[in-house]
Amino acid sequence: MTTRVVALASSFLVLGCLATTAAAQQDVEALKKDLTAVIALQGQPCGEVISATVLKQNDYAATCKDGNKYHVYENDKGRVVVDKQK
Amino acid sequence: MSRYSAVIVLMVLSAGCTHAKKPEAQPQPSPVVAKPDAAKAPQTAKATSATGTAKAAPPATTPSKAAPTTATPKAAAATPSKSPAKTPVKPATATNTAKTVPPPATKPNAATPPRPTAAAPTLDLTALEARLKQTKGIGVMTKLSLKNQVDDLLGEFRKHYAGKPVPTIAELRRSYDLLMMKVLSLLQDRDQQLASDILSSRERIWGLLADPKSFAALDA
Repeated sequence: MTTRVVALASSFLVLGCLATTAAAQQDVEALKKDLTAVIALQGQPCGEVISATVLKQNDYAATCKDGNKYHVYENDKGRVVVDKQK
Repeated sequence: MSRYSAVIVLMVLSAGCTHAKKPEAQPQPSPVVAKPDAAKAPQTAKATSATGTAKAAPPATTPSKAAPTTATPKAAAATPSKSPAKTPVKPATATNTAKTVPPPATKPNAATPPRPTAAAPTLDLTALEARLKQTKGIGVMTKLSLKNQVDDLLGEFRKHYAGKPVPTIAELRRSYDLLMMKVLSLLQDRDQQLASDILSSRERIWGLLADPKSFAALDA
């Protein structure tokens, strides 16, 4: 009986881990889409954001499919700024 | 014990399967139907904005959609009217033709979903702002960026109404159309309902902005 409980608990743990990973993956994809839209709205060339790093709240480093890198952040006036990084 | 390990392996495998299915579930909205509507409307609006007649844009699309629906019933009505005039015996054939005609009549009924979009409730600027804040179709940074651009446009309107010659009403209309297209392109795949509501209330919002009195009331 105890072994059954242990087996069930461990399998639920594995399931939970997998679900958490999937949710995190979805968040990352949503962030990439968000940054892609922001960069496009500012009229900067990008194509699609392939990787994004959270620097602070509303402060990101984004790498685009075409190789461009951007610093996307909200400044103290509440404006979204897209700075091209060299 | 080996049975339990087999059970665990099975559960892990099944969990792996569910993980693999999740990305498929993500693009669940069916944007294919609404894409042409949203794409067509800005084009018509563009064309009308170029000519300067703004109000003709939304109605221009609806009559064209309604035309084929009315055309088939007319054709259906025309064939029975001819046959009863000839002989009373032929109505059997007339009913046969009437039976063949209804399928096209039902097809327009199936294609009516664009009608609810046309009859969608119109939004004013406050409602639009609230809906844009609520929607999960676009991210936080995109919302902030859009808000910046809306504020910029409102600033341009303020300049215009202050008597400065630089942004003419035609330029403002162009900027407004461009901004609306940006919003619609962001929303059409992710929040179709809001996109269609914005599309239907586009001219109303422009009317509010283009009228100095209503703009002053909005700005206050």
